[in-house]
Parts: sequence; structure tokens; C-alpha cells
Amino acid sequence: MRERFLFGYDPFVLPFTLGMVFIVLYLLIGSVRIILALNKEERLLLLRSMNPKQLLITAKDVFVDCLLHIKVFKRNILLGYMHFSIAFGWFMIILVGHLEVILYTPQRNGVLYYPVFFRYFVMETQQTLRGAFFFFLMDLFLLMILSGVALAIFKRFRSMALGMRRTTKLKIGDRFVLYSLWAIFPLRLLAESFTANISGGSFLTKSINHLVHGFVTNPDNALPIWWSYSIALGVFLFTLPFSRYMHIPTEIILIFLRNAGIKSTSYRNGYAESEIYSCSRCGICIDACPMGVNRGDIKFSTVYTIRLLRRRENPHEGAEKCLMCNKCVEVCPVGINSTRLKLLYRQSVNDSGQHDFSYLSLLRESDSSGKVLYYAGCMTHLTPGIYRSLFNILDKAGVEYSFMDKDGSVCCGRPLMLSGDVKGAGELIKKNTELIKASGCKTLLLSCPICYKIFRDEYKLEGIEVIHHSVYINNLLKSGKIKVKRGTGKYVYHDPCELGRGAGIYEQPRELLSETGILMDSPEERGESICCGGSLGSLTMSCDKRRKITEHALDVLNTNKPDIVATACPLCMRTFSPLNKKSETADIAQIISRNLI
Amino acid sequence: MNKEVLVIGGGPAGIECANSLISLGYKVFIVEKCSEPGGHLRKWDRLFPYGVSASDTLDKLLQKSGKAIFFYDTEVQTINQVDEKFVITLSDDTQLHVSSIVVATGFTLFPAAKKEEYGYGIYNGVITNADLEDGFKTHKKELFKANRVGFVHCVGSRDEKVCNRHCSKVCCVTAVKQACEYKDLNPDAEVYCFYMDLRMFGRGYEDLYLKAQNKYGIRFIRGRVSEVAEDVNGCLVVKAEDTLTSRPLKVTLDLLVLMSGMSKNDDNDKIADMLGIKTEEDGFLSLPEPTLNNCQTVTDGVFLAGSVTGPKTLPETLNEARAAALSVHKYLSR
Repeated sequence: MRERFLFGYDPFVLPFTLGMVFIVLYLLIGSVRIILALNKEERLLLLRSMNPKQLLITAKDVFVDCLLHIKVFKRNILLGYMHFSIAFGWFMIILVGHLEVILYTPQRNGVLYYPVFFRYFVMETQQTLRGAFFFFLMDLFLLMILSGVALAIFKRFRSMALGMRRTTKLKIGDRFVLYSLWAIFPLRLLAESFTANISGGSFLTKSINHLVHGFVTNPDNALPIWWSYSIALGVFLFTLPFSRYMHIPTEIILIFLRNAGIKSTSYRNGYAESEIYSCSRCGICIDACPMGVNRGDIKFSTVYTIRLLRRRENPHEGAEKCLMCNKCVEVCPVGINSTRLKLLYRQSVNDSGQHDFSYLSLLRESDSSGKVLYYAGCMTHLTPGIYRSLFNILDKAGVEYSFMDKDGSVCCGRPLMLSGDVKGAGELIKKNTELIKASGCKTLLLSCPICYKIFRDEYKLEGIEVIHHSVYINNLLKSGKIKVKRGTGKYVYHDPCELGRGAGIYEQPRELLSETGILMDSPEERGESICCGGSLGSLTMSCDKRRKITEHALDVLNTNKPDIVATACPLCMRTFSPLNKKSETADIAQIISRNLI
Repeated sequence: MNKEVLVIGGGPAGIECANSLISLGYKVFIVEKCSEPGGHLRKWDRLFPYGVSASDTLDKLLQKSGKAIFFYDTEVQTINQVDEKFVITLSDDTQLHVSSIVVATGFTLFPAAKKEEYGYGIYNGVITNADLEDGFKTHKKELFKANRVGFVHCVGSRDEKVCNRHCSKVCCVTAVKQACEYKDLNPDAEVYCFYMDLRMFGRGYEDLYLKAQNKYGIRFIRGRVSEVAEDVNGCLVVKAEDTLTSRPLKVTLDLLVLMSGMSKNDDNDKIADMLGIKTEEDGFLSLPEPTLNNCQTVTDGVFLAGSVTGPKTLPETLNEARAAALSVHKYLSR
């Protein structure tokens, strides 16, 4: 292998080289801007994460998420392969390209364009095994990318085949990048094929060279195609920052920051910026969003809200309408915590704190030393059937308990928190914490996942176990304090957003139901469970739109024709029961209470 | 043209329609899904606003219906239109050939247990207007021992959360009537009415309302009940808001009466489907000419009467039944 040209340069490398310089500078400036926007604490966290162990973990995450795309594979194998083949194949071509330069033309090591256009600049002296090996690898990975590109083109016309009902609408910048991305690899194949008789090639390039050779006798005619290849690369690199494909480099920055333990503290700058630019607008969240049943509301799904944020436009409508069910976060292949961004946005506009909290001082704690303290919250107060069933179970198990908000009490604060009013929520949290600590209880029992979520995450109740009734009842059953009869009732379990995605409790309610009847699957469950439509998270959703969401969620839950749709949230139950015509709706406590022996 | 007409539903609307059709010389079949005629009227004790006996009223209606042929415990299975006639199969496999159909299937009382926060079916002290009326009728003495009684208006009406946006129209005056009757039976009782608006639109209603305040001392509280709980003594703790004073309110009561509203009949979809007519968003059957003709449907020969097209008072229902009979007559003598 030796060089064909004395200076190792040809003008056609310019579009690529300039594009590369541009994008590297752009990324550098971007990264610096993000780091500058971090506060002192966050920067310290970032600095601390720069140790070998942490870097190794980050490198692994980058490899798994950005190159292998394991999360996309889990969604749909074809979609995963499409992403994997392009990302991993491209990475390997770059890697092997550099190896080639290091091995065969070490004097050109460090020249930006050399590994990319290697085959134009070298000629084969004699067939070497190593050359054949690398050329084979290069052709193999190129084939892999081309298969991915073919899938990508196919997906544009038939997204359903790749598991996506709806995909994002493209903007002009996206189109430039997309078409240049599609063009890069076929052009590379052609270019390398044109010179394969000089530089050598493998199964792909050599074969095509034999075919093309008949038409192009003069190898100098190959130059236009090398120009096209370089221009395609240049266009791609120059338009990258103005398109959704900016996620490719940004995701690496995001993983670095995330692994350092940084979370967004503003809805637009700092860490948030890295999240916003990491959004690939793949549109997986569009299908996931429960609002999508109302076609006019598709424009409020997360992908479009993030696009507005990226353009520094007002995301108000989407951020306020969102049900905060967190399903888009659950399915996001990049792991963007968009719910947090929306919450931060709400905090920036809604934190007025116009409340009359004078009544708080009138509340007195009850003496519950050593007992279980039960807090119903407003939603369970509206569904007395739930707490009566729960008390029945507690009595049967011989558990001593007291009812904290029997005569009404303070709200848990979660609704205010979801509306963005941190200050107001803080007042309630403070009062409740006092009441709970003064009661002397050991366990705080909750039947509402909305309350449970905030008691668990935001309250500081050292020494007091905060537990949801589905887990508590399951513990009672496991320890033999209660017994249930096994029936033939068929149940489908609806995962409430705040309990499932919000608190990661998926198994205990299912274990409970399996003890007393037959637990059936729902097509969309656990992390993929659909919001009941009653969510307190949305500030502006109208009743009729909520109703459509509820009806859709019920249709999905009733797919396998259960006798009872079981849930573990009073709000879900209230939302479902008036509209569920195909089966009964019941809380898990009611089901267990009925079947006690 | 044969002179046979089918009336679906043997409530007041169906019976009165049949009466009018018989006097016009038609042969009438009445299909009733219960084992007795009268519909909801049979279960009621006295009628607003004058306190007329419900059973007397029903008896008078039935006196004239002797020639009608009743099918009890029966429902319509299929309806086929052959030329201009309807061939009807009933659930007991009887086949009828008629020239016209009147749908008078009425309403379904809103199932109060759906508003779980009011505790119907959970707390013993919570009953519905129908339960109370039954108590009046059968002289259930223990029901009238309560010293503190509350009436909750608009249960399952004007409530989007239970998918009933419509006003049920008659519950306001029914509540006032029942509250007065309760005071008659237990003069010592304190009676509260929790209302959103009081819609006293009919003749004599406003007088009854004034009497309820002046003579009976019933307390009217403007505000919806938010939730009901039970205390250790089994009394009901009712939380509401007094929107006139803008204050939250908590009262302890012994008996709570939920004014369940009129909801669409559960069979409306089925019947509408068989007859090629539509239901509105509220579930009641739709009228193509609601102002000019409140009996007519889009299907020739099919007419509607009574609360199948929305909540109505008894006099309104009876008028509509007669109007439907005239419409049938006009249709069959065209």
C-alpha cells in the first residue's frame, strides 16, 4: 500500500474538511455554553465525575445508547437495527479508517480528511492479507449502513412496519440533513468502487468496480463522484446544528452530565439545553402520548414541546395541557426527562402562591405512637369504599391504626406541586410533616399514589416508613396475617401513573391479584400503561377530551375481557367507573376485602 | 292500511298514547319489560306540586286503556320494515305486524352509587329519592325517625364527571316536595337542601318552594356536597360549601337523600339502532324538528313520546303522548 499523490491532497476534500472544522467548533462552543450555564454545585458534580471509574461507566453508556441503541431495539427490532446499523456501522468505518491510516500511511496520521478518503489517496502495491482484511471489514460495515439507510428510506413511506404509527413532521433543516445522510453512503460506495481497481477493495467495491469498469475506462472520471461524496458529507456537517440530527453528538454530552448526577434546574438552559438538543424527534413519544386520541392534541405531545423549547419559542400550551403521566419519559430512547422540563416551565409561570393558609395553624395531630397512621387524602375521601375496605383488612389483620385526616386535613401538596407552585406545596409539606412526626407513628399508610409519590419523594420523614396500601396489603398476605380465598375472577390491573412510572411499584399489586383470582395481561401495561385521563397533572385539558382518553384506556384494558379492571388509585377508579361499561372497576383493597377468609 | 300500532313502553306516556289511539279507532299493542304497567309512576307515592296521589293518577290512566293489548315482561327483539309495514319479533317470539310505532321507553334513574363520594350503598343512612318515595308509599316508619335530614340536589345531573351534562329538570321540585312531606311525617326534623340552582319553572312550583321555607322551615343551602363520611356513631358527616357565604360547611346528619336525576334509558342505543334513528350526545333519542314537532323521527311511521327525548314532567309527558297519537293518526290517514 502506498500513496498515489505527493502531497496527499486534492481540492475535493474541502467540503468535508470545512464542514468538519465547523461542526467541531460549533460543538466546542455549545459544550462550553452548557457548562457555563451550570451552577457551582453542578460544575463540582461534573468535575467529580471525571474519575476513571465514572468515565468507564459513561463510556459504556455512550456505547450502549448511542451506538448499539439497545433501548430502540427493545421497542422494535427493525427500528433498533436501523439505528444500530447506521450508528455502529459508521463508527466502525471511522475507527477502521483511522487504523488503516495508522498502519499504511503513518505520515498522514492526524490529517482530518485522510481516513475518510483513504481509498482515493492510496494504491495497492500487492495484495496483502492485512489490506484484504481491513477492506473486507470496511465493505462489511458499509453494507450494514446501507441496509440501515434502506430501512430508513422505507420507514419514511411505511413507518408502521417499524412499529411507529405516527412519526414527526420534518422541517426544512431536517430534510437537508436527512437527504444528505441518505446520500453519503451510496456515494461512498460508488466512489470507492470507482477507484477499487487502484486502491483495492473487497466483495462490495470490487464487484461494483468490475461492473462499472466497462463504462468508465478512465479512472480520472471517478473524481466527480468523490466530489459528490465530500459535498454530501459537507452538507450534512454544515446543516447538522440546524436539524434534529444534532442529537447524535449532543447525546454524548447529555450522558456525561446525567452520569455526573446533574438534573435540569431550568427548562431551557444548562442541562436542559443538552436534553433539548438530544431529542432526535424520533416521535416514539407521539404514539405513547395519551393525548393522541384527540387528533388535534398531537401537536402538544412532548416532541413538539421540546422543539418549541429548542427554538426558544413559548411551550406554554403543551406544558400546561400535559397530563404529566410520564409515559413519554418511559419510552424515550434518549432518556430525556421532559416531564421535569414541563414542571420547571410551570414553576416559572405559576409560582404565585396566592393562598390563604391561615387554617393550617388550627390543625392538631392525633396520638398514634407506634401505630400505623393512615392518610386518605382528598381522592380517597371521595371514594369511601376504598378506605372502608382497607380498614376491614387492617381490622382482620389485627393492625392498630389511626385515621389522620378523618375530619379532613391538609392536602399532600402534590396537586400544587404539579401545577408548579412549589412555595404553596412547601407550606403544606411543612405542616403535614409536623403533624406526622408529632403523631409518633412508625408507618404512614397511603391509598392514593398521588399522595404516596410526594410523601416518598419530597417529605423528610426519617424513621417513618411511607408505604402504599397495595404494598402493605401484599406484605400482610405474605406474612400470613390475612388470608384470601382463591376465586376464578379475571382481573386486569391498571398501573396508575404515579404508582407505576412514578414510584416503580409494578409487582406487588399484581402479586396480590394473582393470589385471589386470575390476572390477565393488558396490551399496554407496566411502564406503558395509559393514563386514565383523570390526571391532576393537566391544567387545561377539557372534560370531553379527558373522556376520550378514558374511553381509549378502557378499551385497551378490556381487550382480554376481564371481569374486573383493578387499580390501586382512587382517582383512576373514579375516572374509570362511570365509563367502564364492559367490566367492573374496583380498587385492589376492595377486591381483597371481598375475598378475605 | 291496517290500523294496528305498537307502543314500546307501558309507562304513563305509553298508556296515554294508547288511550288516545284507541279512541281514534286503532288497535294498540303495548310492550312492557316489567310485569306491571306504569313505569316509574307505579313506584311513586305523591306527585308535585299539588300532592296528587300517584296510584290514583295511574289508575285513571289505565281505566281507559282496557282495549290495549299488553305484553308484560317482554322486550322488542327485532324490527323489520316490509314495504310500509313493520314486522316485530318480541322476546317471547310473538310476531306483530303494525303500521306505526311509538317509542315511549322513558328514562333510567341515575344509579346513585356511581357518585361514590356520596356513599350510596356504602353508608346505611344514604338513600335516593326513589327509596324515600317507596318509604312514603309503604309507610316505612323507621325512615322517618331521623332528626337531621339532608337532600342533595343534582345527583348525576349537570355533572360532566358522570357524563350527564343535562339538567334533569324535575328533581328540584321533587326535593322540595319530599322535604315538605318528610316534615309532615316528622315535624321535629331539621331538613336541609343542598342545591346548585333551584329551577322552579312550573306553575305552583314557586309556591311550594315558598311554603317549604315559610311553613316548613326547610333550610336551603346553595352549594354542592363534596363528600360524605360516617362518624363513630354511624351518623353522616356531610361536607359542602355554602357559596352564598363562601364558607366550607360540615353538618352531621342522620339521613341523606340523593336526588338521582333522569338519565337516558339504558336501552336507547339498542332501540335507536333497530329503528334507524339516532341518539344525541346526552344519550336521549334525537328529534329532527325539536321545536316544531317533538314526536317525529327521521324514520317514517316511527314516533316518540315522553322522557325518551329528555327529562320531562308528567303533564308534559302526557301531552306528548297525545301529540304522538295524533301524529300516528295523521301518518296513517295520509
